[in-house]
Amino acid sequence: MKILIIEDEKELAESMIAYLRHESYTCEVASTFNEGLQKIETSDYECIALDITLPGGSGLKLLQELKNNNKSDGVIIISAKDSIQDRINGLKLGADDYLVKPFHLSELAARINAIIRRKVHNGNNILSFNEININTLTKEVTVQEKILELTKKEYELLLYFISNQRRVISKNALVSHLWSYEMGSGSSVDFIYTHIKNLRKKLQEKGSQDYIRSVYGMGYKMTD
Amino acid sequence: MKLQTQYSRATIISSIVVLLIAGIGYYFLLHYVLTQQLDETLHVEEVEIIDYIQKNQSLPEATTFQDQRTSFRKVSNPIVRHFTTLMLVDSTDGDNELSRQLTFPIAIKGDYYAASVSKSQEETEDLIVLVLLVTLALLLLLGILLFFFNRFILKRLWRPFHDTLSSIKHFDLNAPSPVKVPKTSIDEFNELNESVNMMTEKVMKDYLSLKNFTDHASHEIQTPLAVINSRLDLLIQDPGLSAESLHQVQSVYNAVDKISRICQSLLLLTKIENNQFNDKEQVDIKRVIQDKLTELDEWIHGNSLNIQTDLRLSHVSMNAQLADILISNLVINAIKYTTQNKTITIHANSNRLTISNPGLQKLNDNLIYDRFWKSDKSDGTGLGLAIVKQICDKYGFELKYEYKKEFHQFSVQFN
Repeated sequence: MKILIIEDEKELAESMIAYLRHESYTCEVASTFNEGLQKIETSDYECIALDITLPGGSGLKLLQELKNNNKSDGVIIISAKDSIQDRINGLKLGADDYLVKPFHLSELAARINAIIRRKVHNGNNILSFNEININTLTKEVTVQEKILELTKKEYELLLYFISNQRRVISKNALVSHLWSYEMGSGSSVDFIYTHIKNLRKKLQEKGSQDYIRSVYGMGYKMTD
Repeated sequence: MKLQTQYSRATIISSIVVLLIAGIGYYFLLHYVLTQQLDETLHVEEVEIIDYIQKNQSLPEATTFQDQRTSFRKVSNPIVRHFTTLMLVDSTDGDNELSRQLTFPIAIKGDYYAASVSKSQEETEDLIVLVLLVTLALLLLLGILLFFFNRFILKRLWRPFHDTLSSIKHFDLNAPSPVKVPKTSIDEFNELNESVNMMTEKVMKDYLSLKNFTDHASHEIQTPLAVINSRLDLLIQDPGLSAESLHQVQSVYNAVDKISRICQSLLLLTKIENNQFNDKEQVDIKRVIQDKLTELDEWIHGNSLNIQTDLRLSHVSMNAQLADILISNLVINAIKYTTQNKTITIHANSNRLTISNPGLQKLNDNLIYDRFWKSDKSDGTGLGLAIVKQICDKYGFELKYEYKKEFHQFSVQFN
């Protein structure tokens, strides 16, 4: 699966590629408006991560170009601007999602996964990890075909883990995924522990193996 | 006091003073001139009498003719010629009359006489008073006319000034174009208008660049933060990292989170200051609070907090996003600083929102709304309450902090 990253900050683009490569995505990078334009005109991508402020022009113009050419590439805008108006502008032009800088790579991966699920695997909304299956359309979770009842946050947590399977996810990334940034960091990220404990307990009760591991108290990893 | 009133007052007072002084001076001058004239007449009379005596070597007859009379009196020594002003009995009606008298010596055949010629001064006095009154009346009339004329002229002259003033009053920094004050025929006002134009243009420019600066600075910081975050996200994938290293990574993560939140908060404050949240709607406060509590449910239960609510139907006209931020900041503060198993109460009706949580010590209510002020226990940005205050100020809501019975209580009075 091909992903295009249009981002002028090379360091950031490199990190994004390094993380996404693990998910068996092929990544290409464009660092200017013109480079991006050339790439979207010549090939198709499953998903494009698009920065708005680019040397040579606005990312929103590229988005418009894409829609004018009736391309169905999924687009996630990555912007430092987080006002409602910026989001609305982006989504109105046909972007599938809007991610505000700074973000965690796990968040980016989860959102790109979601876009690709919707765009590419049309109809196939099942996300799996060994015996655990999630139907992202009905939001139903089954373990060995037994239905697992989860709270909304536990469901989001599990989805996030499966989207970032076999990776270490920091507590900060989990907290900012589940709650807004305004909650604060430091000691307050610790209460995520309770939720993960509950999720693990529920999974095991239905006969799942214990896949979620703590990484020295600073993060978690879902791995077999 | 208005400039016009002040000016009128000054002119009226000075006119009255000048009129009084001039009136008194004028009276004495007239008096002096007319008395001189009277004395001249008496002197003519004197010459006539002396002529008569030289010719006839005898006294003429003492006469009283109209208001003029002549009399002679024999004296032992020659007297000194002199003028006097005195009251004399009028022979016709017996009234006392103010008169001017010239007394001069005559000698006939070795005998000395004092001759007196007197003339009533009443008419002169009447004339003086009349002239004085007419003059004063004219001056008064002139004064009144000038007063109203000045008023009218001043009003017209100051019109461009008031126009300028009103355009300055209506000056809005967020208006798309700077103030343009019209040209007038008065140089001073043109100069003022030019200065006003120049000033507002400069203010607009500075304001715009400041606005852009905060905007740009905050945005520019977000990208390097994204780089740090993403590098850390990659770094922690390394299985060879020790617990100690990961612990350090955690600190960096927290610091990045904090910087990012500070930037976002500063940006938000700037946006509120710049009136970038002008859309208004009827916000259902009850609903916003309920949604917020649902969103924070895990956090509330995670800390074993009790939330006691009394939420009445409450619609407030404000920006929906700001309403959300206002409530969010107050509720999150209450949750953050409440220890396990304690109770937070939230009351809301159409007038008032009150949130109270237990606390051991009163906060310094002079400082709590200052940017970057933090209580000793805080690990936040120190901007949450500054934002709440700014939102309340924008809508004229009254924000109050009280410490009662070991409870912190923040209340927002909506109207």
